[in-house]
Amino acid sequence: MKTPKVLIVRAPGTNCDMETADSFKYLGAKPELAHIARLTSGAVKIGGCDILVFPGGFSYGDYIAAGRIVTAQLEKIASDLKKFIASGRPVIGICNGFQVLVKAGFLPFSGRGQQASFTFNDNGHFTAKWVRLRINKNSPCLFAKGLPDEIELPIAHGEGKFVAQSPEVLGELKAKNCIAFRYVKNPNGSQEAIAGLSNPEGNCLGIMPHPERYAFPFQHPAWHRHGGKYAAGLEILRNAVKHVS
Amino acid sequence: MQAELVKKSPLENFLSLPAAALVKLSRDCGWSLNAAEMTQVRGYFKKLGRPPSRGEMETIAQTWSEHCKHKTFSGPVRFACGGKTERIANLFKETIVKATNELDKKWCLSVFKDNAGVIEFGNTGKWALAYKAETHNHPCAIEPYGGAETGVGGVIRDVLGVGLGAKPVLNTDIFCFAPPDSRKPLPKTALSPGRVMRGVVRGVRDYGNRIGIPTAAGAIWFDEGYALNPLVFVGTVGIMPVWAVDKSVKAGDLIVCAGGRTGRDGIHGATFSSADIEEDSPASAVQIGHPLNEKRVLDALLRARDKKLYRGVTDCGAGGFSSAIGELGSETGARVYLERASLKDTTVTPWEIWVSESQERMIFAVPPENLRAFKEIFDEEGSETAVLGEFPGDGRLLVTHDGETVVDLAMEFLHGDCPRIEKPAEWTPRKPEKSKLGPSRSGVDENAKMLSAVLAHLNVCSRENVIRQYDHEVQGGTILKPLSGPFNGPQDACVIWPHAATGDTADFSGFAISHGINPAVGKLDPYEMALQCADEALRNLVCAGADINRVAFLDNFCWGNPENKKLMGALVLAARGCYDAAMGYSAPFISGKDSFYNQARDWRSRDTPIPCTLLISAVSPVEDVRRTVSMDVKRAGSFLYLLGETDDDMGPSIYREIAGFKDSSLSKTNPTKALRLYKALCSAMQKGLVLSAHDCSQGGLAACAAEMAFTGGIGVDIDLARVKYRGGKADPRLLLYSETYGRILVEVAPENEREFLRLLDGCAVSKIGAAADTGLLSVTAPGGKTFMEADIAELRQSWKLALGVALEGSK
Repeated sequence: MKTPKVLIVRAPGTNCDMETADSFKYLGAKPELAHIARLTSGAVKIGGCDILVFPGGFSYGDYIAAGRIVTAQLEKIASDLKKFIASGRPVIGICNGFQVLVKAGFLPFSGRGQQASFTFNDNGHFTAKWVRLRINKNSPCLFAKGLPDEIELPIAHGEGKFVAQSPEVLGELKAKNCIAFRYVKNPNGSQEAIAGLSNPEGNCLGIMPHPERYAFPFQHPAWHRHGGKYAAGLEILRNAVKHVS
Repeated sequence: MQAELVKKSPLENFLSLPAAALVKLSRDCGWSLNAAEMTQVRGYFKKLGRPPSRGEMETIAQTWSEHCKHKTFSGPVRFACGGKTERIANLFKETIVKATNELDKKWCLSVFKDNAGVIEFGNTGKWALAYKAETHNHPCAIEPYGGAETGVGGVIRDVLGVGLGAKPVLNTDIFCFAPPDSRKPLPKTALSPGRVMRGVVRGVRDYGNRIGIPTAAGAIWFDEGYALNPLVFVGTVGIMPVWAVDKSVKAGDLIVCAGGRTGRDGIHGATFSSADIEEDSPASAVQIGHPLNEKRVLDALLRARDKKLYRGVTDCGAGGFSSAIGELGSETGARVYLERASLKDTTVTPWEIWVSESQERMIFAVPPENLRAFKEIFDEEGSETAVLGEFPGDGRLLVTHDGETVVDLAMEFLHGDCPRIEKPAEWTPRKPEKSKLGPSRSGVDENAKMLSAVLAHLNVCSRENVIRQYDHEVQGGTILKPLSGPFNGPQDACVIWPHAATGDTADFSGFAISHGINPAVGKLDPYEMALQCADEALRNLVCAGADINRVAFLDNFCWGNPENKKLMGALVLAARGCYDAAMGYSAPFISGKDSFYNQARDWRSRDTPIPCTLLISAVSPVEDVRRTVSMDVKRAGSFLYLLGETDDDMGPSIYREIAGFKDSSLSKTNPTKALRLYKALCSAMQKGLVLSAHDCSQGGLAACAAEMAFTGGIGVDIDLARVKYRGGKADPRLLLYSETYGRILVEVAPENEREFLRLLDGCAVSKIGAAADTGLLSVTAPGGKTFMEADIAELRQSWKLALGVALEGSK
């Protein structure tokens, strides 16, 4: 079995890169961190990796809007990225990475431009807490394979409210089972309680909660009670590693 | 331009100014230097045969400020107490430093000399842990949001600037505010407590979240005494390789500034915080934060560090370049060309560039041959660099701007010649007052209501609506979170597993952080405050399952004006308490900070200092983060043991405050006895014999048991007759609400009871009850009567909602 190469794209203000790398390392993959400047300059080619990750954080401070500047920078490598997604290799955008993939138009439908966006949580401020997610068993999402009906993951975001461009887009998302993860109790006002969105092909996932923060059972807030060996976040990432191994 | 400035400056006849005029000049220029200091400066320049330049005076004012020099704490004191007077040559060295020296722990790697204290971390011998806690009180009084932001930014830079830099893995925040819904009159320039609190919380949130460091440990203390001067303590813990613990600047190294640009924000921050807050305190003394810039510096610094591209680093904090370059070059001297600094404000004058406290700047000592590689990394991370000069090795500080001299001073004078001024201190022990509790006539329901009120007290209730705004789990290492268990109860200490810094997920070494703060005890006895804060911090560590054989403390003193003899007297007592605490608990202090002049004039123009406030932060190793213990009751049928003894000491209690009777009684802390108990408990916990443990603090046993029960969602039965009590007649209210130090409530499964008791043999241990599937907190009074039956869901609601209600009721 070959060791999958995971490329984790950093930008100034990315801050979940190390734990994401650690999670993949734990799964036996080989993570590599690359600054976005090295991607746009051509020093690093995304084509060389097996799994592509846009991690969480506040890229460029999120001062204009979450992920907006990285979105603009991705235009320079848009065709490479489009090809990468079309190749069927796993791509995951977590939190800020999800916002980037949506705003850059790679999610939910690569090649059709921006179809949706994110805005401020209904409660008006950054919120960090653990939430329950319901898994759409009919979703093509490769990351969601074999997960139980419901899992728990932590969210940590201020602009997590997903808004589709039109009712038609939202209808299409539902029809194609792109909504892979739904909040059981909507923490931010997302349409359709969307927490994680897959492309119809199933290889590109954007997810607001943080799977890399639940890569070990004892990261759960009540792990002292149930102990156990299961960590739902790790299983999400493991699906990607399995897919390319 | 510089020549013009000098001409215009009032410094030309400086050498002939009388003392009174010197003091006036100091005040007019915002230098906060007193008569003795100004006279000393005049003497130095008389010897040089020329007047000082503005830049030189600014440099001296920054370097000699209370903020940078800690003159009060390390200066001589004449202390009068109980008819005796004694002279203390250096309070800091004779208490806090002395304890650390005497304890001489070999795991202390760097104490009191760098930007943070450094101790060993983990068991591989590869890693070290740096911890620093700062205050940013004065800025937060004037501009809460910006003050809190730059406070966080500053303490993070302290950890980036310790040794060759540590990766920050945890931020802590401890606040003291007036109750947000307080309706007490304020002077017209003061901000309302609600506005201060909201601003500070947002500032900590926006900086900490953006920079990707979890804010996962802290506390909030409410007291009307903080209405004019809120206290904002911010701390950062970092992890670094052991080889990076020390710096060694060499002659010939380049002075490189990296990070933010220099502007006019934060002129005179150091000197402004070395004076009382006045109506006209300048808002420009508060800096403007830019977390993204700091994150860029952080990322670049760690990359450059690991390539060993520089020999020294420190942050630009108070005093800006003047302090940072002055400190780094204190032995080599420094040659600085100010025109090379990157500016964000082109109207800034040379001396302003020199002392500006613009944020997110770090100063590096880079060997010339590494400059290219160094710059490449910073360029890629988008962090600007500027070579400001070099460290020449001649011990001279020479600063120029376009060829004009701004500063030309001997480092020796700057760092050595600040006059030591003796401060008088006095202490009169207060007369104890005590009124009887009076007979209890209230029924079971009223008693439950009382407990609800205690849980809803601002110093007890949930901090959830603050905590949830902080990203407390970024870096994926927050193993014991601030809110614990299925119902999000108050965890005593937080436990961090810093794998994002070590990159090692097979090493389960972690550390625990906790705090002790209790100004209510300080009002009765500052000496006991120090001991009890240390005890509380230690207790919290024990409860989490941390190893308490290797605890390190940090001290943060926040006091009023040290010219006030009584406040100085309280300081002496508190510092001595710190010494006794460190020795008694065998835990050295590794770093600290003091903040004086936390006072202002109230609405009737009366000088109003804050309550004397000491924060003790504690850190200890956690050998395996998978063996920590949380505070929620886990299992119906398990037993509850109360460890420690209860006193008749309602003086500083929440119950006394709510019930409104007079009582100043306070127990005397016995650290030796307490430590024996904690060590025994620690070994029981490491053997997995304890299901949950929670510290009895504000709200006493009642609040402690209620929190454990409603966090686990399991009822609890308690028999007060079983509580070990050292007082006279045991009143149930006293047993429930006394806040005697040194007590921990633990849950033990029946099958572990024997082994647990064996390990705690000889300690004060009493089985006071059991967990039960009743959904109630049931309390039996010593006579056998039911004293209380309270629904735990209702108690949880009182506890959970109170802070939100107070904030909504605020202005």
